[in-house]
Amino acid sequence: MIELENIAKSFESGVVKTDVLKGVTFKVKSKEFVAVMGASGSGKTTLMNILGCILKASSGSYKLEGADIETLNDDQLSEIRNKKIGFVFQVFNLLEGTSALDNVLLPLVYAAKYPHDAHKKAVEILCSVGLADRINYKPNELSGGQNQRVAIARALINDPAIILADEPTGNLDSESSKEIMNIFQKLHSQDRTIVLITHDINIARYAERIVFLKDGKIEKEEVRR
Amino acid sequence: MKTIQIFGVSLQALIKHKLRTFLIILAIVVGIATITVVVSLTEGANKLTMQRIKNFGPDAIMVHSGAGGMQGPSTSDEANLSQKDIADIVNIEGIKLVAPFQVELDAPIKYGNKFTTSWIFGVEPNWKDAWRIGASRGEFITDSDNEQLSKVCVIGATVVKDLFQDADPIGESILIKNVSFKVGGILEKRGQSPVGTDFDNLVLIPFTTASRRLMNQPLYTSMLRVIVYNPSHAKDTAGQIREILRENHQLAETEEDDFKITTAEGMTKMVKATSKTLGIFLLLIAFISPLVGGIILMNIMLIAVSERKSEIGLRRAVGAKKKHIVLQFLSESLVLTFTGGILGVGMGIIIGIVLSLLGKPISINWQPFAIAFLFSAIIGILFGIYPAQKAANLDPAKALSQK
Repeated sequence: MIELENIAKSFESGVVKTDVLKGVTFKVKSKEFVAVMGASGSGKTTLMNILGCILKASSGSYKLEGADIETLNDDQLSEIRNKKIGFVFQVFNLLEGTSALDNVLLPLVYAAKYPHDAHKKAVEILCSVGLADRINYKPNELSGGQNQRVAIARALINDPAIILADEPTGNLDSESSKEIMNIFQKLHSQDRTIVLITHDINIARYAERIVFLKDGKIEKEEVRR
Repeated sequence: MKTIQIFGVSLQALIKHKLRTFLIILAIVVGIATITVVVSLTEGANKLTMQRIKNFGPDAIMVHSGAGGMQGPSTSDEANLSQKDIADIVNIEGIKLVAPFQVELDAPIKYGNKFTTSWIFGVEPNWKDAWRIGASRGEFITDSDNEQLSKVCVIGATVVKDLFQDADPIGESILIKNVSFKVGGILEKRGQSPVGTDFDNLVLIPFTTASRRLMNQPLYTSMLRVIVYNPSHAKDTAGQIREILRENHQLAETEEDDFKITTAEGMTKMVKATSKTLGIFLLLIAFISPLVGGIILMNIMLIAVSERKSEIGLRRAVGAKKKHIVLQFLSESLVLTFTGGILGVGMGIIIGIVLSLLGKPISINWQPFAIAFLFSAIIGILFGIYPAQKAANLDPAKALSQK
């Protein structure tokens, strides 16, 4: 499913070169729920961006469903993101002034073909994350937890191969966090593949397997179930 | 489908940022309105000049005494066209008539306690054939008036208005340079000359009376108006007249003409050349305005791009290609410039109508619409492409982390 082989990433600003990832190798199997756990500065967001195909690794190889990601051009990467990846961000990243429904439909605007049943499907997904009565609400009319559910619905609209969640509960209170994590568990039980990135061990424990990242390297792995 | 959807995204963004949208449109409106007004004014002025040249007559040749390059008639003081000159010109083949006349500019005219100044033309009866204009009332200057050096005059509409208001001038006596003349007739209204002088502020008196009694120029004639049978020969005939005059005036090869010959064709050429220069100059000035509009557009779009980095990052993350982002921001620019363009032409036309009501020559044609369309597209693309490309080239990972 996902195969990372010796992935390294360094950023250069001026003469200063910072190695953020220093050879990361790990696999995510289909239908697996993996958490990447690390302190801030451990390189986990960089890893997430590489997994999400919005950042290219400096070296190493990345295979996503058999496709060699580092050989693809910008347009091909856009297509991969559109078809195979569903993002959930810490700050939700919803379009302001745009209804929950239209936010969920956003990825389809860029899909090769706009499905004729898109509207129906978006409503179904919004219902499944518990927003049946909030379909036409705008982000500023919803709570943080509700906004994150809209974002999850948006990540699901394309039936992605993998859901990438970067600190999805980082901006939420503990009650909302619990609800959101329950949704992820439910998605996992529906055979979705999920990679969760967090610094919070209590959040990471919702996953089947935890990969500990430290100073740009994998420190250890812990299989929970 | 996708293009329409992205276009819809652009519209939504514009509606969301109302003040920004308004300011950009305003900048474009001012630019396009300026061009519309300038183009309409230039066109109007050109049309008016061409109309006046048409009034001059394609079959007419004007011969002025003196070499001065200035516009307007030559006066009796500069007169240097001899009787022989006129006789030789009359003999040129293809000439229908030669109407000589003496000119004095801004002569004082009095009637009772009313006073005005007017151009005095000493003319022969063929004046009315040469200018296709006669007396609208009363009698024109006759041969016997010329033989007898009569003190009669035919006055133009402006003079009538200045001296008599609503009274009937015919049969009244007026003082021209303190010499008493009887008003025999009123001249048909003629309007303005190609250079804009009032052809109705005119007093016609017999040629002989003018030469010998009023202007003290018995030997030479100020000006000739020559009419040819075939307008297409006017230029050649003008050339022949020039040769005759140069020979008669004994001008050496190196000497310049001491007279000036004008044809409708020549005037058209001259006017076109000047109005072209002036037009280019005006347009250059007018183009600055939409250029400024474009710079404002680019500035505000650049601000919009940096304000919306996280939105751009998100769109890229969910699968937007670079071209989708370019399309989104470019169509925002184009919607703004076309809206501004349409409103600008509308405003330009309103200003044009107001100007024409104020008496300025205005010609509203297809050009302003074409220019507005063209400029809207050019400004939109030229100044919109850079911000759009900047948006598309943002690193999605970096853009996403901005808030």
